[in-house]
Amino acid sequence: MSGRILVVEDDERIRSSMRLALEGEGYEVKDAASGEEGLDLFAEAPTDVALIDLMLPGMDGFECCRALRRSSAVPIIIVTARADTHDVVAGLEAGADDYVTKPFVAKELAARIRALLRRARPAEEEPGALTFGDLQLLPEQGVLRRLNGEEVHCTRTEFRLLCELAASPNKVLSREQLLDRVWGYDYFGDGRLVDVHIRRLRTKVEADPAVPQHILTVRGMGYKLVP
Amino acid sequence: MKLGIGARITAVFGLGALVLSVLLGGISYFTVRHFLLAGRESAAQQQAFSNASVVRNSLESGDTQYVFLLGQVDAGTGAHSVLYHRSKAYVSSLSVNASSIPAQLRKEVLAGTPATQTYRNAAGQEEIAVGLPVPSVHAAYFEVFDLSDLDHTMSVLGLTLFVAGAVTTLLGLALGRFASRRLLRPLSDVTSAAGAIAGGELDTRLDVEAADPDLVGLTLSFNAMVDQLQERIEREARFNSDVSHELRSPLTTLSAAVGVLEIDRDRLPERSQRALQLLSDDLRRFQRMVSDLLEMSRADAGSVDIFLEEVNVSELVQRSVETGIGHMDGRRHGTPEVVVDPQVEDWRVGVDKRRFERVLVNLMENADHYGGGVTTIAVGPGPAVEPAPGRLVEVSVDDAGPGIDPAERAKVFERFYRGSASGRRGTGTGTGLGLALVAEHMHVMHGDVRVESSPDGGARFVLSLPVLSNGDGDGDGDGDGARDELVSEKEVDA
Repeated sequence: MSGRILVVEDDERIRSSMRLALEGEGYEVKDAASGEEGLDLFAEAPTDVALIDLMLPGMDGFECCRALRRSSAVPIIIVTARADTHDVVAGLEAGADDYVTKPFVAKELAARIRALLRRARPAEEEPGALTFGDLQLLPEQGVLRRLNGEEVHCTRTEFRLLCELAASPNKVLSREQLLDRVWGYDYFGDGRLVDVHIRRLRTKVEADPAVPQHILTVRGMGYKLVP
Repeated sequence: MKLGIGARITAVFGLGALVLSVLLGGISYFTVRHFLLAGRESAAQQQAFSNASVVRNSLESGDTQYVFLLGQVDAGTGAHSVLYHRSKAYVSSLSVNASSIPAQLRKEVLAGTPATQTYRNAAGQEEIAVGLPVPSVHAAYFEVFDLSDLDHTMSVLGLTLFVAGAVTTLLGLALGRFASRRLLRPLSDVTSAAGAIAGGELDTRLDVEAADPDLVGLTLSFNAMVDQLQERIEREARFNSDVSHELRSPLTTLSAAVGVLEIDRDRLPERSQRALQLLSDDLRRFQRMVSDLLEMSRADAGSVDIFLEEVNVSELVQRSVETGIGHMDGRRHGTPEVVVDPQVEDWRVGVDKRRFERVLVNLMENADHYGGGVTTIAVGPGPAVEPAPGRLVEVSVDDAGPGIDPAERAKVFERFYRGSASGRRGTGTGTGLGLALVAEHMHVMHGDVRVESSPDGGARFVLSLPVLSNGDGDGDGDGDGARDELVSEKEVDA
């Protein structure tokens, strides 16, 4: 599978080895040593996936994520030193789609990138169009819009998540199911990925994200979409 | 039994008060008695002397109406006279007779020497007998004085002194107890501070301002000791954390580079392939070691962020075993059987799934290295506990080994502890942190781990976790809206 990957990493040796590993997997790699340089590179040439280290000199990884997110829905993977910190949640809230921890295994990173690229393409089995509240989800066109025609911008991950929930309205989907279907993780995937993305989705879909009417939490079970 | 310092101080005070009061009481008693007795003696002698002269005058004048004579002189109350005249004894009252006079005294007086003697008579009463020879008429005059009133006075005095002594002793004991409490109070502050420090509250210090002036030295050096201890612990934790962090970057590079080589593995000569295999296996082990160390140093630094997720316990265990086997390194002894007690099938627990998987992997690896492999993994109900819903669920991992000596059981959870099985290091796996991390992970997830022996004599590691719900009310209780499923907690020491 081919794709264009932007790597933002300040450690030169890690950068070279990542380039080697990703090129070995058949990707086209551009790399940047700082957030600013990364944003420039992103603006210059099309990118399919951005890989951003959170600890960067100058503009940090969070800021870099937010800057990318403002202008683009490109899939972002953040690279963090630790999995069990608030950094992960903060990174996801800054707009990242997924994360890997250092030291990562090249194969695992490649798998994450593959999953993200797959998400960028339409799923095999799309749900039909669904209307809930004042929103209309058109999976085949990859569009979420309000009934007044205004389009609601969301990332591909958010869109896929919404499609999975919409595929079986009123049915509870567990975190594990959502992790598997959207991110391609097994049982041990990080449930925080789902939680943060649901939270982000609610800010776009719900009138009052604090009192959701459509994307509901089912305690101890998972989430469901109520049209 | 060894007495405590408090008890000893109290005892010393009590004993001191007792000795002092006995001494003072004794001295007073005997001084008073001596003084009173001496007074009575001289009074008795005077009276006896004057009576004797009356008797002598009468006898000299030839009067032998003894009874009348004695009746005349026997004036004092409680005093009785005995007169020996011409080898016959005459008494003044029926309460005395010749034998009332102590033999010794009688002998001395009859031999011609005046004498006085204090004694107790046959009835046990104290008396003074004064004997005066009257040589001019060949007679001897004795007068016996009853001292029972003195006896009475002395016994009242004795009783009073005894009571005073007892009260003084009790006061001494009370004072001793008070003093020892006062004395030990600063020490109890030290004790509770030391306890808090041992319990991990390294910021605990003694209040120098409030310290007793005599104990300022102790307080200062105690605080200095804790300062140094804290600094050392923090330096060590920082060092561990720094080392592990610094190791991450080269490890990331190595891992990515080995990944590149692995893509091209089939094109490498066989020797290089074998070398690559060794390289990637040990790299994986190295990575685990670094992440274990990092995990430990973070736990030491008290900065563990934990995200607990509510999951079904039997599914968790089954999945963890299935996936965990793929993550194990070193030799394997087959796939263990997982037995779930039907009672706990729907029980849910709050865990970090990755941590729990690591716990099971570590236990299975431990069983493989030291216990001949896992025989059974069982999930069952544990004992009831305090907070609702008040149950523990237990996951036990049995191995086929020789079991663990009870004396070693607590130690197996120590870092880098290699017990008597240390000889069997096999193909060099295990970081020495495996079981320590098991304990660490379980504590972070509010659970616990212990080791006992399985019915087959092998080791049985028992994990216990608090149950969040036992599946009774599993309706889709939505409605709590945006409430996030992940119980997220931050465990930080102030």
